[in-house]
Amino acid sequence: MNPITAILQRNLLNYVRSKGRVLGALFMSMFMLVMFSFLMKSSMSGLDAPMNYLISGVIIMSVFQVSVNNSSDILSDISSGYMKEVLVAPIARTQISMGHILSGAVIATLQGVVTMIVGIVLGLRVNVLQILLLAAVMMVSAMAFSAIGLFLATVSRNSPAFQTISSMIMMPLTFVSGAYIPTTIIPVFLLPIVYLNPLTYTTSIFRYIALGAHTLTTEGLVEQGMAFSIGGFVITPLMGLAITVLIGSFFFVLCVRKFNRADFSTIKVAAGMRGGGAPARR
Amino acid sequence: MNPIIQVKHFSKKYGDFTAVDDISFTVDEGSIFAFLGPNGAGKSTTINTLCTILDKTEGALTINGHDVARERSLVRKDIGIVFQDSTLDSQMTVEENLKYHCSFYKVPKNEVQERIDFALDLVELTEWKRAVVGSLSGGMKRRAEIARGLVHDPKVLFLDEPTTGLDPQTRANVWEYIRRLQKQKNMTIFLTTHYMDEAEVCSKIVIMDHGKIVAHDTPENLKHQYTGTEVDVVCTSTEPLESALQERDISYRKDGNKLVFHTKKAPAALEILSEHRETITDFEVKNGTLNEVFLAITGKEIREL
Repeated sequence: MNPITAILQRNLLNYVRSKGRVLGALFMSMFMLVMFSFLMKSSMSGLDAPMNYLISGVIIMSVFQVSVNNSSDILSDISSGYMKEVLVAPIARTQISMGHILSGAVIATLQGVVTMIVGIVLGLRVNVLQILLLAAVMMVSAMAFSAIGLFLATVSRNSPAFQTISSMIMMPLTFVSGAYIPTTIIPVFLLPIVYLNPLTYTTSIFRYIALGAHTLTTEGLVEQGMAFSIGGFVITPLMGLAITVLIGSFFFVLCVRKFNRADFSTIKVAAGMRGGGAPARR
Repeated sequence: MNPIIQVKHFSKKYGDFTAVDDISFTVDEGSIFAFLGPNGAGKSTTINTLCTILDKTEGALTINGHDVARERSLVRKDIGIVFQDSTLDSQMTVEENLKYHCSFYKVPKNEVQERIDFALDLVELTEWKRAVVGSLSGGMKRRAEIARGLVHDPKVLFLDEPTTGLDPQTRANVWEYIRRLQKQKNMTIFLTTHYMDEAEVCSKIVIMDHGKIVAHDTPENLKHQYTGTEVDVVCTSTEPLESALQERDISYRKDGNKLVFHTKKAPAALEILSEHRETITDFEVKNGTLNEVFLAITGKEIREL
């Protein structure tokens, strides 16, 4: 078995075995769906397909949160000592990073697909081709988000710090992504953050597919917040996806560099934490 | 014998603190080599550097001819490690832990099951292979870890305090496995330990203190060099023996009709004893222990630390 596959398989197995996590995650996605789709429906009255607009936002948001949060798996590996076993093995550090990123992304995508199915029950109207495309976009963006999460996890070194840092970053990014609040009504001074935010682009391509918006003109897309005109240069949804991949690759490189540094003093710190109990798994 | 590990002028500094200060040693292929020393002497720093997870400050370290800093993946292939703290995945079964280990070390697929069975058999965990690691006792976890460390057939097996925290019986078993391994596979074993008596079976010992090597020799030579023989004699009357000892300028301790004295070599005692055999009702000759060696060299009892 390839080391990447081995890490992926092991992480997925551990995920499936912790039933609490699986159930909790499912409950969370449903809760978000029901909450947002019903509470915010009224405020979206101007749109043609408000359910598609809202639910697609909720799905991509849950993919984002799940993939970032799953990266903290590596923290329990560090505190349990298992990370050491992986680090002394003759595995390329790119493979270690890739294994962890893939497992976070697969879990997030599976959860996203389940959310999508629940969404269909609640009124999301999509055809089979759209479903496949949406799943593919989920996977690609989940990998980028996992890379960001993995980097945050290796930087924060322990669970409480990771929780703080990740929510500090996730909250604002969520709000300026256009998933809940359309980017078209976001104040101008926040626009630079909107354009640097990978979530903005994943939300836009996701909606582009979910709304079947390929029939719209570029101007139409900009108006609906699915394309972005920066000083006359228009970022189309596909270009947005490419930007997401780029941002993800950037963080992937950072993770590999982090694992490459032989002085893994983080492990020492984490080993000391064991006396106080391993950080709780969500 | 070929040296499989070579360490030359190795130093490691953490900021201003020097953890390891210019040490050099070699380990012969197929030998059991022990690293002894109080906590903080630099043992773990040295092991971690040899295991490629710590950067050196200075020096040249090679395992099986590969530089540990520059040819990391080649070195990683050649070594197996059992760390002081558990590095098992406690949510997985024993067998799964070993199986993923085999994937990481690219053990040929058709050999995986055979090797896992061999390793588990060696540490007597075959019956427990489907047990989740988290449910095992400390001793079993350590054995599982040893099994995992050798399942990819490493050239060198590092054992960092392999018996710490284990009950005496399990400790004896672990040693049994280690010796069996060394014999059956001609594996080089590099270990650190707190228990001096355990180091007796090693072919060579290095004692570290304050980041420096203070002794490097076989257990026999060390005992010979740093300790003497203690003789306890019970006599019907102690005076003749006492005067004989005084004559030879040997200091002794009197305890009722028992005399306790030290000589450099056991045969020297034989001479005195045979001279006074009529008055002697009982005697005991004790050879020096590694504990005494350690005490003589570092001025500390290793277990006090």
